Amino acid sequence: MGGGDSDIDAGRRRAELQAWLAANAPGDPGFMLPQSMLAVATREQFDFLRAWQRRVYDAGYVGVEWPREYGGRGLPAGTQRIIDQELARAGVPFMVNAIGLSWAGPVILRFGSEAQKRRFLPPLLRADEIWCQGFSEPEAGSDLASLRTRARRDGDDYVIDGHKVWTTLAHFADYMILLARTDPQAEKHAGISYFLMPMKVPGVTVQPLIKMTGEGGFNQEILSNVRIPRDALLGQEGQGWEIAVATLSFERGASEGSAGSSAGVEDAVGSLIAMARNLRRDGNPVLHDPVVRDRLAALAIEECAIKWSVPRSRIAGLTHDRPLALPLMRKLVSSEFNQRLSDFACELQGYAGALWLEDPAAIDNAEWQRTFLNSFGVTIGGGTSEILRNILGERVLGLPKSR
Amino acid sequence: MATLHYDEEHVLLREQARRWFAERSPIAAVRRLSDDSRGDDPQLWRELAQLGWLGLVVPEAHGGSGLGFTHLAVLLEEAGRQLLPSPLLPTALAALVIERGGSDAQRARLLPRMAAGELLVSLAQVEPDGGWQAQDTRTVRAQGRLSGEKHHVWAAPTAALFIVPFRQDGTVRLAVVDARAEGVTVVPEHGLDRTRRSGRLVMQNVAVADDAIFPIAAEDVFAHLLPRACAALAAEMAGGADALLAMTAAYAATRVQFGRPIGSFQAIKHPLVNVLIALEHGRSLVYAAATALDAEAPDAELLARMAKAQLSETYMFAAARAVQSHGGFGFTVDCDVHFYFKRAYSSRPAFGDAMHHRRWIADRLIAPAP
Repeated sequence: MGGGDSDIDAGRRRAELQAWLAANAPGDPGFMLPQSMLAVATREQFDFLRAWQRRVYDAGYVGVEWPREYGGRGLPAGTQRIIDQELARAGVPFMVNAIGLSWAGPVILRFGSEAQKRRFLPPLLRADEIWCQGFSEPEAGSDLASLRTRARRDGDDYVIDGHKVWTTLAHFADYMILLARTDPQAEKHAGISYFLMPMKVPGVTVQPLIKMTGEGGFNQEILSNVRIPRDALLGQEGQGWEIAVATLSFERGASEGSAGSSAGVEDAVGSLIAMARNLRRDGNPVLHDPVVRDRLAALAIEECAIKWSVPRSRIAGLTHDRPLALPLMRKLVSSEFNQRLSDFACELQGYAGALWLEDPAAIDNAEWQRTFLNSFGVTIGGGTSEILRNILGERVLGLPKSR
Repeated sequence: MATLHYDEEHVLLREQARRWFAERSPIAAVRRLSDDSRGDDPQLWRELAQLGWLGLVVPEAHGGSGLGFTHLAVLLEEAGRQLLPSPLLPTALAALVIERGGSDAQRARLLPRMAAGELLVSLAQVEPDGGWQAQDTRTVRAQGRLSGEKHHVWAAPTAALFIVPFRQDGTVRLAVVDARAEGVTVVPEHGLDRTRRSGRLVMQNVAVADDAIFPIAAEDVFAHLLPRACAALAAEMAGGADALLAMTAAYAATRVQFGRPIGSFQAIKHPLVNVLIALEHGRSLVYAAATALDAEAPDAELLARMAKAQLSETYMFAAARAVQSHGGFGFTVDCDVHFYFKRAYSSRPAFGDAMHHRRWIADRLIAPAP
């Protein structure tokens, strides 16, 4: 069965990491931390999270499967997954440079020149350089290939003009993976190129956007006459769409190769039940309500199915009828599951479910509310659920295109 | 982290079974047998015995193949894909019950002949009020004579023997009852699903000797059977739902309205993707349950009940979408979809529907309701 690590090695690694976490897990910072890298708003949040990623990297737990020459440890496939599981179980903060670790990095590993790999990968692993993603534009959301940002060749440089939006971490980022049009005459997918664009250069203006949770961490960028060197191009001119599709595949968890994830709670239904133990509904404990119990069981079934689909997806004989189904489903089903679960958690709280952060009477500091509101970031970002259903219908069920 | 057991042997079994069922039980044959008075093909039954598939999980010492539950799940998924009308599943369940509950002599007497296809045995545990668990049993035995009624007995019209739970002196036990014994009447049911026949077993003062009674209490045997029946049925249902999805996607890709294939409309496409997701989740649960059953893992029953709950809803969902997406044609008997629809419908209540299992799951996760 999949994975290069034997059970004994895996057990040893888990024990080693647990011991390290017991000594090194950060305590309460004294201010509110974001739930994921989608909502890193303040400098103090960012500094705290960056310091944490550095500590985890220096201890040898980030990028462990990547080659040594690029800052990794060259360990067998499957090792990072074990580490990520233990980190998630310990409830420690996420890796702040998640876009670098999970999609920019793997894409540079696959498409980058030797010089690009040596230049960008080591500082990315240690969060010394932070990455953001410049794909969406005001007029190019689900229809990403209609993007208008231009990259013009000018001597040894490219000059970028355009407008990017919904950009997580842009206000702290050192680099952006950027899609821009190099050939406006070409067919829309063919004219796109992929750049590793420095953010701290003249012409880049980052403007914060506030999410419906009231949190920041989200931005738009005006790119005006931004001059970047020619070797910022990843792959070839016109290869941008291919690399973008590969990037989205990493973003949706459909491709493996991440250097470290911000894996969420393992047992969300268990946490929900724990939260609901003290709640009452219509005068009785909410967990005595047979309708509530039925819905909780349905969520438990779904969570269990999602969990078991992961080991199943690594067994060729169990996926061979539809090899793309499980990888392409992953982001869609987990994001919709989290949305439904957190919504149900808030509904069970009754009136208290409408209390918000900082109200002393809010249950679990309104974490469930924040999770529910934030869940839309995941059902929209990285390909909306609707687009993903199109992709599944077309690529797995063989249905004709909807366009 | 979880592991799943699936190796080269399973792959080969699946390939062989898929090919064989497609050749020997094509939908045209299922259609023909649906109008047949018997309902299944005796020649096919002999071939299934020769292949070793009737005794797949029966120990080799008793004439079986001695394989695991994961193998049985693979076989039943492929049988379900072709709506095999032969009583493969009832035989597998009866063998599990005999293996677990019977005496050495009973096992030696029954299992080899079942595996050889010479003796059809079916489990008759559903009471007229729909109760199907040991504690629901109302059939009684007094002075060595059995009286009571069992409904929804699979393969009842063709079975030679029945395994019947009954009450005696406050305990529930299992007896082997001969279909030809005096006082036994078998009435075929007029079921919606003509691909799996069933009947009512009426017993009036049927003499049942002590050596026809299992030494192990019905409750213990059923506790062993239930998760296996759930996983086995769920595997079979997954195969049927998969066939429906493939059939419907193929139709939607070619049927043209408004100048384009209807599968290009998201109103058709997205619900089919929802079927796909529910089905793939169901299959993951089936394989997890089958592995856990072979390993006798502590969560085996939970996983098996989850699989049955998931597939009970998913098979009906797939069937309903299949009828709807095929339009007027889907509503007729000329379209093959209705055979699957009716199998989904008849499989749903067997060994507990989704609501039944979710109640158990909630009790397990939360602690029982007061």
